[in-house]
Amino acid sequence: MEPKEIKENIFWMGAIDWDRRLFDALIPIPDGTSYNAYMIYGKDKTVLLDTVDPSMSGVLMSKLEHVKNIDFIISHHAEQDHSGTIPEVLAKYGTAQVIASSKGKPMLVDHLHIPGDRIITVEDGATLDLGGKTLEFIYTPWVHWPETMVTYLREDKMLFSCDLFGSHLALSELYCTEEWKVCEAAKRYYAEVMMPFRTNIKKHLEKLEKYATDIIAPSHGPLYNDTECIIRSHKDWVSDSVHNKVIIPYVSMHGSTQLLVDHLTDALTVRGITVERFDLTVTDLGKLAISLVDAATMIVGSPTVLTGAHPIVISAAFLANALRPKLKFASIIGSYGWGGKMIEDIQKTIPNLKVQMLEPVLIKGKPDSQAFSALDKLADEIAAKHHEINIR
Amino acid sequence: MKKYRCTICGYIYDPSLGDPENNISPGTDFNDLPDSWVCPLCGAMKDEFEAEE
Repeated sequence: MEPKEIKENIFWMGAIDWDRRLFDALIPIPDGTSYNAYMIYGKDKTVLLDTVDPSMSGVLMSKLEHVKNIDFIISHHAEQDHSGTIPEVLAKYGTAQVIASSKGKPMLVDHLHIPGDRIITVEDGATLDLGGKTLEFIYTPWVHWPETMVTYLREDKMLFSCDLFGSHLALSELYCTEEWKVCEAAKRYYAEVMMPFRTNIKKHLEKLEKYATDIIAPSHGPLYNDTECIIRSHKDWVSDSVHNKVIIPYVSMHGSTQLLVDHLTDALTVRGITVERFDLTVTDLGKLAISLVDAATMIVGSPTVLTGAHPIVISAAFLANALRPKLKFASIIGSYGWGGKMIEDIQKTIPNLKVQMLEPVLIKGKPDSQAFSALDKLADEIAAKHHEINIR
Repeated sequence: MKKYRCTICGYIYDPSLGDPENNISPGTDFNDLPDSWVCPLCGAMKDEFEAEE
């Protein structure tokens, strides 16, 4: 496929990975993804911004077939899905130099064995005049590694944001015309990759607000020529406000925990609270991560197996702990046959969640009316807590 | 001067070492770190740190 022209002398040079279904060997990506590289031709200098995943290096190299010269390759982020084809591009263009942040340089040397003398570093706010096109490098650490930066192209009011504002969405067009589609894909991306760095991103959004931007060109998924929705969504995701929503990730072996989950779902629903629940044996972890972005409360449901919590529950709880969502409240419900330490197992797994723990509901055997009353009490407490923090 | 531990990832800020990669010289007390300083391992803010006993 040929490069796609975005504006005069600015091209998309990326690769579309239509068939990829798992990212980071962890999160399903039902709509594939793309690795976006961009080319900018100034009057004097030519610049390639990022490259593509090495599994698709041939796609980028074929787009470069008729490109005689590249002066600089800007590496916003040293992760291999963007930097992985830099060595091949450097091999083709013997005088090209890589531009990276001060922390990016050693990472490129470590991860890709790029010779240090081919990398130059730029400071936050540094500019590069390509001849009629001026690039400004803006440090944005922790989106989502410590070295990350973005580039603003002044004359064209374009922001090359790398992973920030990215989405896993394979699309033949440059722009997505269906807002809901890109919004869910971008939320899935934010949820898995960016959520732990929410407070860092909040500062970056404020910093980037000063740059009048007509087009955002991220490193995954479509570009945005209407930037309002994606920025508004990110502002909501990184804000401290949560939605009137309870998420219930759970596993049930013989149906007791299932009965508890069913009852709690109804009890919360009649109290006007949105419930999103996930049977973890069949759930798409990306959907769970999306729900964690703005839920107020998480209730984990687990049976007791091998004297402790179900390992699939522990795995999901471990992920939630690593993603550091802005949950305010949490609790645990579940069942046991004769004993065990299910509750402690789960509690130990989620120390990073800055939540108020509500009284768990632990039932021996099949739930009875007393168990259902305890769940009603938990639902009342959740409703009261949500009311206290003014979400309804 | 006390050491401080990141409650998210376990990184220990040792004032005798500072954090030279992020322009914090050895001998800088945790409380004198700028508010913009974050955990060099996981990006956590200063308020996620606790003093080591």
